[in-house]
Amino acid sequence: MTEAEIRRIPIQPGFFTIPDDPDESPRLLGSQCSACGESFFPRREICAACLADSLEPVELGPRGTLYTFTWVHPPLFGPLRADAGAYGVGQVDLAEGPRVQAVLSGERDEFSIGMEVALELETLRKTDEGDEVVIFRFAPAALEERRA
Amino acid sequence: MKIENAAVLGVGMTRFRFERQRSTLELAREAGRAALRAAGIDLSEVDEAWVGYMAPEPMLGVRVMKEFGLTGLPVTHVENASATGLAAFREAAWAVASGRCRVAMAIGFDKMSEMAAGGRGGRGIGRDSIDSVILPAAYFALWAMRRMHERGTKPEHFARIAAKNWNHGALNPLADRQADHEITPEEVLASPMVAEPLTAMMVCPIDDGAACAIVAHPNVVRAKQPGRPVVNVRSSVFRSETYAPGHTFLGAVVGPATMTADTAKLAYEAAGIGPGDVDLALCHDAFANEELEYYELLGFCAEGEAEKLVEAGDTALGGRIPFNTDGGLVARGHPGGPTGLAMIHEITQQLRGEAGPRQVENARTGLAHLVGGGSVCTVNLLQRD
Repeated sequence: MTEAEIRRIPIQPGFFTIPDDPDESPRLLGSQCSACGESFFPRREICAACLADSLEPVELGPRGTLYTFTWVHPPLFGPLRADAGAYGVGQVDLAEGPRVQAVLSGERDEFSIGMEVALELETLRKTDEGDEVVIFRFAPAALEERRA
Repeated sequence: MKIENAAVLGVGMTRFRFERQRSTLELAREAGRAALRAAGIDLSEVDEAWVGYMAPEPMLGVRVMKEFGLTGLPVTHVENASATGLAAFREAAWAVASGRCRVAMAIGFDKMSEMAAGGRGGRGIGRDSIDSVILPAAYFALWAMRRMHERGTKPEHFARIAAKNWNHGALNPLADRQADHEITPEEVLASPMVAEPLTAMMVCPIDDGAACAIVAHPNVVRAKQPGRPVVNVRSSVFRSETYAPGHTFLGAVVGPATMTADTAKLAYEAAGIGPGDVDLALCHDAFANEELEYYELLGFCAEGEAEKLVEAGDTALGGRIPFNTDGGLVARGHPGGPTGLAMIHEITQQLRGEAGPRQVENARTGLAHLVGGGSVCTVNLLQRD
């Protein structure tokens, strides 16, 4: 199988785009209220701010500002596995408004509150058919530019 | 709304800890029987019961209540994550205040040891799911990191709060964590990192347990327990989130900190009680940094002043406003369903002057606060006559 034939499929449909060009950033699937203008992620049918039911689908991101983050050391909880490494979790304010919580892609020292981050896709596993199952992450924007 | 004519008739609880050998039913039976005994009644006098637990077992509450007898009383299940116990208590208090019940029971139980065992481990619970249902520790660590960024708060502040609660817990025979020496902030900071900047000793343990509070009309309390201080419920407010920009819909465990301020304001207004009247407070310190936030959000100091309370030791036993006198979630423990009822247990003992080495001098008014995933918040004010 050639690389071009490998399909990328979302871990769950309806939350983010998967561009055909692997160098292109994904975007988040959100909603914007046509009555009050508030934007939301993920998609919803009724505006959480003004309760109008006139929401339009929009694509959000890929850039945002890191509002806060932490580095989690999971082996302290639940069944212990030797390969369970520490990982980052952050909350990112997208330019369109919504604050999105997601896992961070990168090393601890690459992150600081207030920095610019960007969406990227991470491959979690391959299906039996050879498709790549992907999920969205936030990475330092500079790093994402280097990769692109 | 102010609650009138509802008072605590009796409380009971198990010691919170890892209970490998005992079932949920056994734990609930111990706590419920202790509360009935303390109340001086049997189930025939209980008009209605609210049963709180997080375990995914339908009907468990009704089965537990059968342990106390089969009297036909209505039994309603309540689940609001960490706030479950206080949510059940609120229903019992209002059932009595409304006149619908003369005596009502709130009982909570859970075995976190069994629920935690369900985690998938690997790269971290929920790490690779669309809603990144991260560990609650990580969520409150997000608060802590932001606070440190905005206010210059140090991990030492969180460590001092945790050490205080560990040392309070050592005075409470029902607490899980029973340190055999005085815990220092340095020791807390040196324990393993869970989610930066929170270390293991700043985080509540995994607990099993049960707790029960029986509420009755104050006249019933006076008749059953003549000469004993009457612990009245003055307000019990329960809220879910109000939308504000920055709301995180996916993955967040507990919503914005302002939910506590909104709920507390309503509880104070309803009771006609201010933070200055409160003698002791129990709050959701599942993670020590939360307690620091709640000093401000519950109105015990101005915004940005919480660190000063920690530095002055104001929230330790003997201080201006002791917090988590029974050890809090960090040391007394946090089994889920019963946690809020353990708070009612402690406040009742304190307001009756029966808290032994933990006694807050002349305690008249106590506050119980919990947040719960989803998310929700509850603030309850109790006051003796």
